[in-house]
Amino acid sequence: MSTLHVLSHSPFADSHLSSCLRVLGSHDAILLCGDATYALTPSTTARQTLDAKVGSLALFVLDEDAKARNLSLPDWVKSVDYPEFVALSVQYDKVNTWL
Amino acid sequence: MKQLIVEGRTLALDKDGYLEDLHDWSNAVAEALALEEDLVLTPDHWEILELLRAFYAEFQLSPATRPLVKYTALKLGAEKGNSLHLNRLFNGTPAKLAAKLAGLPKPTNCL
Amino acid sequence: MPKSLLIISRQSPWSGPSAREALDIALAGGAFDLPLGMLFMDDGVLQLMPSQRAGALQQKDITANLQALSMFGVEDLFACHTSLAERGLSPTELSVEPLQVLRDQDIAALIDRYDQVITI
Repeated sequence: MSTLHVLSHSPFADSHLSSCLRVLGSHDAILLCGDATYALTPSTTARQTLDAKVGSLALFVLDEDAKARNLSLPDWVKSVDYPEFVALSVQYDKVNTWL
Repeated sequence: MKQLIVEGRTLALDKDGYLEDLHDWSNAVAEALALEEDLVLTPDHWEILELLRAFYAEFQLSPATRPLVKYTALKLGAEKGNSLHLNRLFNGTPAKLAAKLAGLPKPTNCL
Repeated sequence: MPKSLLIISRQSPWSGPSAREALDIALAGGAFDLPLGMLFMDDGVLQLMPSQRAGALQQKDITANLQALSMFGVEDLFACHTSLAERGLSPTELSVEPLQVLRDQDIAALIDRYDQVITI
């Protein structure tokens, strides 16, 4: 079974991202939206942690939230719009939204 | 606001007829509440009401039907800890009605 | 067969309504006989500390409420080893049992086993 983990909190405010990464299954993916997209801010610990997982982590970012924050995405991160977000939600066996 | 007058004391009830204050409860109050439901309390009823008071003291909440059945079976045995027995005693809605008569808040996890 | 549900409770009992909401979902699900499990993780493990005094904040006693889980048929209870260790809690001093303490990779497998997950 695969899980799409949806994060929306800033990685600088709480431990959602680090906790999610700790318990991430090998078939799972993460989708960053809202302030969670700040995890891609260059030269931050959050970004370094994500960069260290290139190749092993399926990472998606909600395009408009990243654009609104003027965040440039690394090549290996896939940006998605809302229809693609919905498609991902169906493609994975379940969605775990970290409230 | 609803009220219940027992032995000269006026007690506050919530909109569903449950006691506002757990501490207002007494045997006479239980009998008065039962009367409102056209129920006459027998020793079989009292046993369950006391059990519910104990449940609330232990867990600080009113049980839904399933935990009530389980707790009754645990404390009084399977002969009494089954939904048939409890439904018969409390007009088919044991969790709600027995909690009301025992002076507990309305169980929240039951439709 | 109803879908199984894992509730991940991540907030301290005193930080707002989250811990109570997670518990209410578990109790409601249990009352309706849904197959469900509950995992305490991050600050959620603080709910498991014994002898907390809810009365000091005029709140309901979550320690007592948590004991009701098994009466509601919720017996698959888990706690995150890393989160306990971070907060200096020993698995032997917790107020809820039976409780399985899981390492990170076991939590990934746990999430995998359930049909649905709610993280609060």
